[in-house]
Amino acid sequence: MNGNRTKNNHLPRLYLISSGEEMAGSDTLLLNQLALLPRSHPCMVQIREKKLSTKELLTLALKARKIELPEGTFLLMNERVDLALAASLDGVHLPENACSAKVLRTLAPKLIYGCSVHSPSALRVAEEAGADYLLFGPVFDTPSKRIYGAPQGLEKLGALCRATSLPVFALGGITQKNAALCMTKGAYGIAALSLFRDTARLADTIEELYLQLNP
Amino acid sequence: MTPSSPFLCVITDEALCPLSLAEKALKGGATMIQLRHKQASGSQLFLWAVEIRKLCQKHQAICIINDRVDIAMASQADGVHLGQQDMPIDAARKLLGKHRIIGVSASSVKEAVQAEKDGADYIGFGHIFPTSSKEKDYSPLGAETLRQAAALLSLPIVAIGGISLENAALLISSGASAVAVISAVSRAPDPTFAAHKLLCAINKSRS
Repeated sequence: MNGNRTKNNHLPRLYLISSGEEMAGSDTLLLNQLALLPRSHPCMVQIREKKLSTKELLTLALKARKIELPEGTFLLMNERVDLALAASLDGVHLPENACSAKVLRTLAPKLIYGCSVHSPSALRVAEEAGADYLLFGPVFDTPSKRIYGAPQGLEKLGALCRATSLPVFALGGITQKNAALCMTKGAYGIAALSLFRDTARLADTIEELYLQLNP
Repeated sequence: MTPSSPFLCVITDEALCPLSLAEKALKGGATMIQLRHKQASGSQLFLWAVEIRKLCQKHQAICIINDRVDIAMASQADGVHLGQQDMPIDAARKLLGKHRIIGVSASSVKEAVQAEKDGADYIGFGHIFPTSSKEKDYSPLGAETLRQAAALLSLPIVAIGGISLENAALLISSGASAVAVISAVSRAPDPTFAAHKLLCAINKSRS
């Protein structure tokens, strides 16, 4: 079973991943980012905060859900379908080693399911599981991923995009300068964390990126 | 929902394969297996949960998943065990429905009373004695605090923390419905025999 076609035709092309440095408390980077998203540009937004407890994650997700977001924006939780359901989010993003989207979809059929993919074999698994979109990276050099070795590069991004009909978001070291390169390789959109950290420039950053993302 | 007391809950050991431990504990008569593995990936946890649930069904025992409500739902386990930093009880109840078991950890009488009010099905109360299985930042509660909790609660209390063959019976006579152990079974030379002996000890304490 493949993913919901009508749904993934409407996915925004810009994908914001939370910083991973949220603290339990009210004045958080993610909530500021969400409040500052430009009305005209919907985003995919993934809450990915490995340092928070389950309880703190749920609190953060509930607060995020209360913020009025640009129309067409989808709010996703990393891995935890239970938290996505409890906070009425729109979907989950699954790391390669997560429980399968096929199993999880039986629990929550209406959610969007995205899968991280780092290899051709992981692509087959994600397609078989019925993923709605894929996240591929790191495409470019990014400090947080150096421990895993060299980046995957544009050619592997291109190969993955040619091998699947699913939307592929390019992740890792993406900037306003190289986003267009990812699109020429067949990416559906781009994803980033640190690019969106400067909240004073967030609206401009998103505007600049959207100019690069028209396929 | 929970078994007739006194019963034995065996929690999996982070350092050992949960499947082989569950199988050995169930052969010894363990009434409840709690899958608790903070380091494992979601896919690994799901596979273990499905297998442990099957083993539990075969032995008429209960399969509980620690923290991960998603894994409990996906594997159709009998319930979840939630710590104070895990999903709140009301949110978990909405996802799991009224027929699945929700156990909640409490490290004080106050937390235990609150968990009962919030709709838990059993209280994991501890740690009662010093334990090496988990890093703790508070001192052991002791059997007397267990007695106080038991006097105030109507829910089954599962005593946990530093429980051994020598002290298990005391906890049942202090008001616990069950004891939960990790190392007393997992690190025993013969986990099946260790589970069996613990069950004998807590059942004798009833009379």
